[in-house]
Amino acid sequence: MKAKDKKQKVEWKKLDNASKIFPATSNNKDTKVYRLAAELYSDVDPESLQKALDLTLRSFPMYRFVLRRGFFWYYFESSDIYPKVELESTSPCSPIYIRGGKNLLFRIFYYKKRISLEAFHALSDGVGAIWFLETLIFHYMKIVHKEELGEEIPSFEYGASISQKMADSFWKNYTPKIQSAHLKKEENKSAYKIRGKKLDENRMRVIEGALSVEALLKLSREYGANITVFLTALLLYSIYLDMPKNKNKKPIVLSVPINLRSYFNSSTARNFFTTMNVGYDFQSSSHEFKDIVGLVSKKFKEELTEENIQLKLAKYMKLENNPVARIAPLTIKDIFMKIGNRFNDKKISSSISNIGKIKTAKEFEDYIKQFSVCISARAPKLTFCSYGDRLVLSFTSPFVETDIQREFFQFLSKKGIEIEITSNI
Amino acid sequence: MKYCGHCKVYIREDHDRCVLCENILEEFDGKTEEVFPEVPPFYESRLGIKIMMFISIVALVVSFGFNMIFPSEINWPILFMFAVISIWIGLIIIIQKRYHIPKKIVWQVFIVSVLAVFWDYKIGWRGWSLDYIIPIASVSAMIIMYVTAKIMNLSVSDYVTYILLDGVFGIIPIVFIVLDLVKVIYPSIISIGFSIISLSAIFIFRGEEIKAEITKRMHI
Ligand SMILES: [Zn+2]
Repeated sequence: MKAKDKKQKVEWKKLDNASKIFPATSNNKDTKVYRLAAELYSDVDPESLQKALDLTLRSFPMYRFVLRRGFFWYYFESSDIYPKVELESTSPCSPIYIRGGKNLLFRIFYYKKRISLEAFHALSDGVGAIWFLETLIFHYMKIVHKEELGEEIPSFEYGASISQKMADSFWKNYTPKIQSAHLKKEENKSAYKIRGKKLDENRMRVIEGALSVEALLKLSREYGANITVFLTALLLYSIYLDMPKNKNKKPIVLSVPINLRSYFNSSTARNFFTTMNVGYDFQSSSHEFKDIVGLVSKKFKEELTEENIQLKLAKYMKLENNPVARIAPLTIKDIFMKIGNRFNDKKISSSISNIGKIKTAKEFEDYIKQFSVCISARAPKLTFCSYGDRLVLSFTSPFVETDIQREFFQFLSKKGIEIEITSNI
Repeated sequence: MKYCGHCKVYIREDHDRCVLCENILEEFDGKTEEVFPEVPPFYESRLGIKIMMFISIVALVVSFGFNMIFPSEINWPILFMFAVISIWIGLIIIIQKRYHIPKKIVWQVFIVSVLAVFWDYKIGWRGWSLDYIIPIASVSAMIIMYVTAKIMNLSVSDYVTYILLDGVFGIIPIVFIVLDLVKVIYPSIISIGFSIISLSAIFIFRGEEIKAEITKRMHI
């Protein structure tokens, strides 16, 4: 015990507001893990990928943190664990965070032409993880295609300082003035629950459909909507088509995450999102697809106002600032968060999440085919992102059945859209 | 790629049937890809545990049966059963706490002590568990912890809680001496002395880190 073995000081950070729920509610059935994958035109070289990962970690110090339990809250703690790229060998979105485990909250897989980043949701949201993956791909491309690129090596736009990337944007953008009285009471009605036969070992079934952004945009416009609104309506419709007709008393409700970075000045690579619920009651409303699109479109406009987003943020912070909630021991908090989560789950049937456009330097476009995203799910969930003109719609589901996915993709293909399907099982 | 005439979609992998509608697929351009790896069932990796469980049961049945056919004075199948149970408990703890080696060591000390007392009691209380096992276990645990902390380059925050726990545990033999429960007092004295010295060393030399660790774990 001498002074010389004093190592780098261990840093620690509180979890941001949206992260707090994930460690308490993750389990083998719902791992709260998502996967971002980049598919190249040639096989991945693991050694270069490892070098690229080492370089990437320098700009994302949070990715070397581990999650630990304190007496009152969970916290992140810096570690000296050195992540290694691995040959993909597990089912998508397998558990990452294990209670009491002291491992990193992400992993990098490679398999044939794919590079996948899997992360535990407490570490970052999808938008934050995209930055990490973009940076990783940038370094990888630079290493692997050094010769072809020659002088044309593009420089990387980091976009934000390291401290900005590590910031807790919930605290920074929260205005305590807003009284909770303004908050709308959320409907307490339970939503239709999608049922099915579970796959063995809590595995996830991933079905990806790749299609042209332009073609999808054209189709969406025919219904007077943008892509997100159109796909939300189509998912509602597909779930409706699969729903046993005696069950349609309950509304189908989709949870839609909102990226708060577009409403506030933030470039955090951690979590910064909230969600809204978009529901449709098929018992009392029209069953025409175009009417569903109209209603979803209206709901999006109502929910996504500046004022409403501010209110959502205030509501989020209410619990965090509640003194009784704060001094409750973590074990008690865990129980309450689990119960709260179960209540929330009752109010939604599924979710749809648009991770957005992924960009790389123009010089790399010849080497990258597509990007895709999927997330652990207790009911079929839809996530999507685009790269250039290629948009990948990924369904993740714990069920054997694929009826919702079939209805969804058949609707698109019948409208003349070419779809390429990939699946893990 | 392949093509599903029913769904009117292209399938990139070499499947026979459509993943959406289960109809037979048509050839499209003869080129298929493998995008996801095939993941074998988890069951196989558990086979080792299953075999061990089976061997334990067979061995226990055989030993009890053998003892009934050829009775002996010592009830050795019971002892054998304790041994098997201790091994299993130890194994379960190693598997469950594989991330926290110091925690695991403390748990082992605790379990060894409890099992020793129980065993000692079962075979007619000769007092060896209090005389030797508990003091020796806590001193050796502390030594093992220092050594693993050095070898594995663990940071103070990883082991400080456990070394404190073990230090407190190592002082417990004071109670045995005071209540006159031990016949051989040397191991107890060594354990108490060693624990007090280690605890004070930690507080004196690593006090700041302990404080930092406490603020971190107790943040509200
Ligand atoms: Zn089909």
